[in-house]
This record gives sequence, structure tokens and C-alpha cells, in this order.
Amino acid sequence: MMTRALLARATPVLACLGLLAVWQAASLVLNNDSFPTAIEAIRAIPSILGDKEALINILASLRRMAIGFGVAVAMSIPLGLMMGRSRTVASFFNPLLMVIYPVPKAALMPIIMLWLGVGDIAKMLVIFLGVSLPVIYHSFAGAKAVEEKMLWSGAAMGLSSAQRMTRIVLPAALPEILTGCRTGLVLALITMITSEMIARQSGAGNILFNALDMGQYDTVFAMIIIVGAMGIGLDALFERMRARLVKWSEPQFDIPVSFS
Amino acid sequence: MTALPSRSNIQTELKPARKPAAAMIEIDHVSQTFKTSGRQNHLALSDISLTIEDGAFVSILGPSGCGKSTLLYIVGGFVNPTQGLAKVRGKAITGPGPDRGPVFQEFALFPWKSVLGNVMYGPRQQGVRPAEAEAQSRALIEMVGLKGFEDFYPKELSGGMKQRVALARTLAYHPAVLLMDEPFGALDAHTRTRLQNDLLNIWERDRKTVLFVTHSVEEAVFLSDKVVMLTRSPGRIRQIVDIDLPRPRRRTELLLDPRYQKYLVDIERMFDDADENELRP
Repeated sequence: MMTRALLARATPVLACLGLLAVWQAASLVLNNDSFPTAIEAIRAIPSILGDKEALINILASLRRMAIGFGVAVAMSIPLGLMMGRSRTVASFFNPLLMVIYPVPKAALMPIIMLWLGVGDIAKMLVIFLGVSLPVIYHSFAGAKAVEEKMLWSGAAMGLSSAQRMTRIVLPAALPEILTGCRTGLVLALITMITSEMIARQSGAGNILFNALDMGQYDTVFAMIIIVGAMGIGLDALFERMRARLVKWSEPQFDIPVSFS
Repeated sequence: MTALPSRSNIQTELKPARKPAAAMIEIDHVSQTFKTSGRQNHLALSDISLTIEDGAFVSILGPSGCGKSTLLYIVGGFVNPTQGLAKVRGKAITGPGPDRGPVFQEFALFPWKSVLGNVMYGPRQQGVRPAEAEAQSRALIEMVGLKGFEDFYPKELSGGMKQRVALARTLAYHPAVLLMDEPFGALDAHTRTRLQNDLLNIWERDRKTVLFVTHSVEEAVFLSDKVVMLTRSPGRIRQIVDIDLPRPRRRTELLLDPRYQKYLVDIERMFDDADENELRP
């Protein structure tokens, strides 16, 4: 039992080590200048994280990402919930969103830069756009699925329609909303890097692509590892919060206590 | 004797009682049509008039699709009738209100709240202090036989237990009328029987007005003072049968009681006759 539990905990680490081993082997076999070995890339990490300039860049990226993500979530959840409960709102916004959905948000970057410059605002707007859609759609689907009779029960207790929205639709749709937010979080990271790739000024993406221009491939790959680790870390953190918030809907409780 | 729940705001609105058994619910020439996907409108209920006295246990019995649930939703204020008017204590029903508490077949519990949280929801909404609401709710949970399950989430409970919670949650805000929409329809036979017995025991204590929708003849006769039979679509009142059986009722005694058996047979026959008439070309 003990060894099995230990093994289960070690599996993700083993998977990472396996990936690095494959990378190392592939790099040695291909022997290409632009494909450093895993060990070379990992060696470059401390020098990046030790550099004050680089740290400021990475923190600036995270700040933009946090603001873009935060504003997107704060606006998308109410919109999605309203779409889910009102056919009029849904039929107004649905076509708009269907047009925006398949457009890669980074493709809008040049136009946004033209209007808003290359600064923080433009980048945060792109992150905002990237995060909004999955959060809107999941909130929409979650609100739509709320049982009518649950709302009726609330209405009979005297909840107004606004109260039913915040005190029944919102909590009932929360598992679905948080699934959307989790997708949004990953998209925020992706759009953050792409926006910095297009409008290079500062940020993690800037370090990465500058290094690429200068042929510092170990730095490029080190940055990829850093960004990847940030993604995994944020996702794990979010997942822990999510699991705590919606433990009432988690499937581990699926076997009900039985008596009539 | 009619024991009204102590909800002062409703009491003050009450007009002076005319008769000892005052009308709790009046349904006045109510019809309901629904738009269907086709161009035709579907007539679900046709010209229903019915008076339910305070403290009466009344069942609405009919085949599926006869609009019996719709009638209950109209009294609940969840659906507005296309024609006619429904009143509770002489006041026209314009929407849901805490004087009419629904219990649905689907339970419709709040899954993010514990058993206690669900039962406390109504009283808290009505402004009852937390400590008081909790004490009342714990007593109700015990009354419906769920002591010890206060901190469980709905997901962790069986269907019968969920319906017990739903009943306690509705009783917690002291509705004058209980609106029960096939509440035991989703439960297995054994659980169903237990809940029917327990519901009667609970009802005997304060004799709230109950409007109970079912398609089970036995359930309707066992529980009710009055059974309102509806016809198949569109729902019309076919017959109102007064169930003159002594209370408190015990299932084991009733099953041997010829009067009980006769009610069942009479009602079954009436439905059979109707079915034959409808099937005739």
C-alpha cells in the first residue's frame, strides 16, 4: 500500500524526467546547434532567474496576465450567466461570439497595437479577449443547465430574480464556470507570450524571442521550461482552489448513503 | 379547527373568516394552452374550476399528460394561466410566494448546500435569525427522520432521503399550502410506501392544506380527503370523489377495509370506461 501510494505521487515526476531524457537523447542524436540538450537548457535557467532585469520582465508579464485574466473573468461570468437565463440576451450575443470565437486573438494584435500602442493596455486587451470566450461559453452552458424547479423553489422562498441569479444560478453553475476559467487561465498564458512576441518591449516572451534572434538557444529552451513550469504551477494552484470550492459536486461522493 | 401558521403579514391581509372551513385555494375557470413546435396550440387544461378548503388534503389524479402538474404550477404561481384566475385566501395569484411551498418530483435541492443549509435557506431568506433558523431546521430534519445527516450534501443521499430533505426545506418556511408534484414518483415502491406513511404522520400534526399531484390511484385514495380526477388531454375535471375514510389512517388496516377497496375499484372503473370511450372510433 505504502509503496503504491508513493509510486502514485512520484508518477508526475517520473513523467517529467522521462520527457527530459527523451529530449536529451534526441538532441544528442540530431546534434543540431539550434537544439540544445536538456542539461544545457536547465543550466541556463539559474542565470535567467538570477538576472534582475529578466525577473522584472517575467513579473511584468505575470502582472498583465493577472489583470487581463481577472477583468475577463469578472465580465464574462455575469454575461455568460445572463445569456444562459435569457433567450433575448443569448440571441443577441451568440452571433457576435460565434464570429469572434474562431479568430486567433493574437491575429488582432497588429490592429490593437495600431489603436492602443505597444504598451500594457494592448497586451492586456489581447489576454482579455483570449480568456473571455471560454469563460463566457462555460458560464452560458452552466446557467442554461440550471434546473428550472430549483429556481422555482427559490422563488417560492421569496428570492427576487436578481437574488435567484446570484444565489442560485451562480452557485449551481459554478463547477462549469470554473472549468471555463481553468481553460481561460491556460489561454491567458498562451496569449501573454504571443502578445509579447508581436509587441516586443518587455516580458517573458520578449526574453524568449530576443534570445532566439541572437541565437542563444539554451536561453530559448530555458525560457520555454520556465513558462511551462509557470503554466503547470498556476494550473495546479487553480485546480486546488477549484476542488475546494465545488467539493459538493465532486464525483468521489457518488455512492449515496442508502436508506429510504 | 383551522390552525394557520404564524405568519403575521399574511394573517393581517386575511379578510374576516366567513365560514369555519374557509376556501384556501379557488381555481376559477382556468384554461392553459401551450405553444408547440408546430403551428398548433396545445390545450393542456380546459375550464377547471375547483375550491380547496383550508386544511384539506386534495389529490389531483389523472393519466400522464393530462395537465395535472400544470394546474399545480398555476397555483404555485410558476405558470400564468392563459384564461381564468387562481386565488389563494381570496387573493389573485400573480407569482410564487412563501405561502405556497412546492415539493417536486425532481427534489430540486440546492446541491451546494448541506442538508441543514438547504432546510435553513427559506427561514434565513425570511429574515429568521441564524441561531433560531438552525434550531428550527434541526428539529424539522429530525422530524423527517434524517437526524445525523445534517452535514451531508444532497449528492451523498438516496432519492428517498433527498425527498425528505425537500419536504423539510419547504415546511421550514411555514407555507399555508403544500404543493406536491408527484413527489414520490421517482422512488422505488418500498421507499414510496414509507414516505407516504411518514407524510401522513407529519400532516396529521398540523393539517396544512395539501394539493398533491399523482397518477397512482392507491396513493391518492390513501392520502386524500378528496380526489379530483382529470380527463386525458385536454385536462378537464371528470369527477371529484370524497374519500370518507377515518383518520389517522394505517395502511395495514386500510388494505383490509372494504370501503378503501371500493374507492380503488370505483376510480379504476371510471378511468377504464373513459379509456374505452376514447379508444372507440
